[in-house]
Amino acid sequence: MSLKLRNNQVKSSETRAICGLERLWGTSPLKSHYDVVLIGGGIHGLATAYYLAKEHGIKDVAVLERRYIGYGGSGRNTAIVRANQRTQENVKLYDEGLKLWPKLIDELDFNLMFFNCGNLNLAHSEAAVSAFRLAVSTANFCNVQSELLDPQQCKELVPALDISDRPYHPIHGGMYHGPGGIVRHDAVVWGLAKGAFKHGAHIHQGVEVLGIDTDGQKITGVQTNRGSISCNRLAVMAGGYSASVCEMVGMELPVHPLTIQAMVTQPLKPFLHHVVSSGAYHCYANQTLKGEVATGAHMDPQVNYSTTPTAWYMKHQAEALCEFLPCLKGVKFMRIWAGLADMTPDMAPIMDGNVMYDGLFIDVGWGYFGFKSGPITGKYMAEFIADDEAPDILKPFALNRFLENRYMGETAGATNYGHWN
Amino acid sequence: MSFTITCPICGERDVYEFHFGGRDRGPPPSHDNLTIEEYLRYAQFRTTRTEAQLEWWFHSNGCGSWFTTWRNPANNREEKPQEMSNDQQ
Ligand SMILES: Cc1cc2nc3c(=O)[nH]c(=O)nc-3n(C[C@H](O)[C@H](O)[C@H](O)COP(=O)(O)OP(=O)(O)OC[C@H]3O[C@@H](n4cnc5c(N)ncnc54)[C@H](O)[C@@H]3O)c2cc1C
Ligand SMILES: [Zn+2]
Repeated sequence: MSLKLRNNQVKSSETRAICGLERLWGTSPLKSHYDVVLIGGGIHGLATAYYLAKEHGIKDVAVLERRYIGYGGSGRNTAIVRANQRTQENVKLYDEGLKLWPKLIDELDFNLMFFNCGNLNLAHSEAAVSAFRLAVSTANFCNVQSELLDPQQCKELVPALDISDRPYHPIHGGMYHGPGGIVRHDAVVWGLAKGAFKHGAHIHQGVEVLGIDTDGQKITGVQTNRGSISCNRLAVMAGGYSASVCEMVGMELPVHPLTIQAMVTQPLKPFLHHVVSSGAYHCYANQTLKGEVATGAHMDPQVNYSTTPTAWYMKHQAEALCEFLPCLKGVKFMRIWAGLADMTPDMAPIMDGNVMYDGLFIDVGWGYFGFKSGPITGKYMAEFIADDEAPDILKPFALNRFLENRYMGETAGATNYGHWN
Repeated sequence: MSFTITCPICGERDVYEFHFGGRDRGPPPSHDNLTIEEYLRYAQFRTTRTEAQLEWWFHSNGCGSWFTTWRNPANNREEKPQEMSNDQQ
């Protein structure tokens, strides 16, 4: 049967539905003008298109994706969601993002497989415990659940942990954030594409933006491999490639493209019921609903655009995991892959509008945090584009902070103590 | 992606022996009349292109020297820009 259906000559929508082949989104003709053009078919571009069409009645919208939707970080991340960022501005945004998932599942009528299993961060030094104490206070101040645990309590949550003094970095404590967990990343891409298309947005795959047109102070359109497209408003949401897209209008950004790698083991019986991260071992892991242990964290330190994994990192990950989860000794890795992160110096994103040119919006610099915050950012970027005024929640994320020496404090909680997802 | 970097003293070695020191941006701007904005632009704003760039590397797990070399972030190969490789240097 699958052979017969292969050439897209499926007879009726009824046949398609019976065979489970109903398309989630359709193709649209590429018009020569759109009110709004969004560059990048990742979660951010698709979510913005969805909310523009659904909540602001702006349906003359095109998402331009040079490869296929989900080709970038959106289809490669480890799908971890949480709201215990370091600074209040960030916690607020991510908390709304976290609370949005169940609502979005209803709205899109699509199962995003939200598994709120909770995130456990391990502290391997007294300094890390102090850093966690600060992070827990910030979270609680913002009404986000987060608590400090002693090693015994960590062990109760994750019995497979080695809390003895055998590991090179023994466990001194932990920070537990119950409302976080995992969401199926591909499902989010597909669900948002389905929703955006249903409300009238166009999704164009295989359309690469090669240049940006301006007239005086205004954005007027884009040059693509399929010809020029004029538009009134343009947003750059191109993930790891954002800095090169912005360069098309001569805009320099404090954004560094870096490769992050991730991998999964063979499927195992359920033994790990929470996301576990360790700063000292530079490693995080969770067991997927299929039983595989999905694990990552390593970011190649040199700027680059390659998405090839390394043997060095596989070895690192195996050693790190076997230290704090010794039951994983002998388990095999099945797959490894890599994607790009667009990292800023303060590890917080840049969301801005009418920058350099009227009608130019940017939503970039998401580093390794852009999955969990994708839909909520799309919602607020849509509002920004529709009203031509930054919503209060996005104001602290303007590009100018990097020119005024007002960096956000996200790095203080992150690299050393275990938040890279 | 794993690749090699050529240390002027030790020769071609695995990248994991090195510490990346960033793109060479020339000497820092003079402090006379330097505005915060100019300094911050110099320190953090840059576009990584898919073409060879001159970079600083530190052979941290080797001889301990700092040196510059050309690398293309698109493919991680050590290669000189077109213009330079043409004139035989
Ligand atoms: C291995 C890994 C693990 C991660 N883990 C997590 C995690 O656990 N939790 C979390 O929150 N985040 C995580 N992230 C980060 C997250 O994946 C990204 O921040 C997020 O996907 C960014 O989404 P986006 O829509 O902005 O960009 P992307 O998904 O990268 O989409 C950008 C799109 O733009 C397209 N594009 C680029 N240039 C052009 C052009 N000129 N014309 C047209 N299209 C163009 C690209 O093809 C791409 O599809 C991880 C990332 C990686 C790589
Ligand atoms: Zn050397």
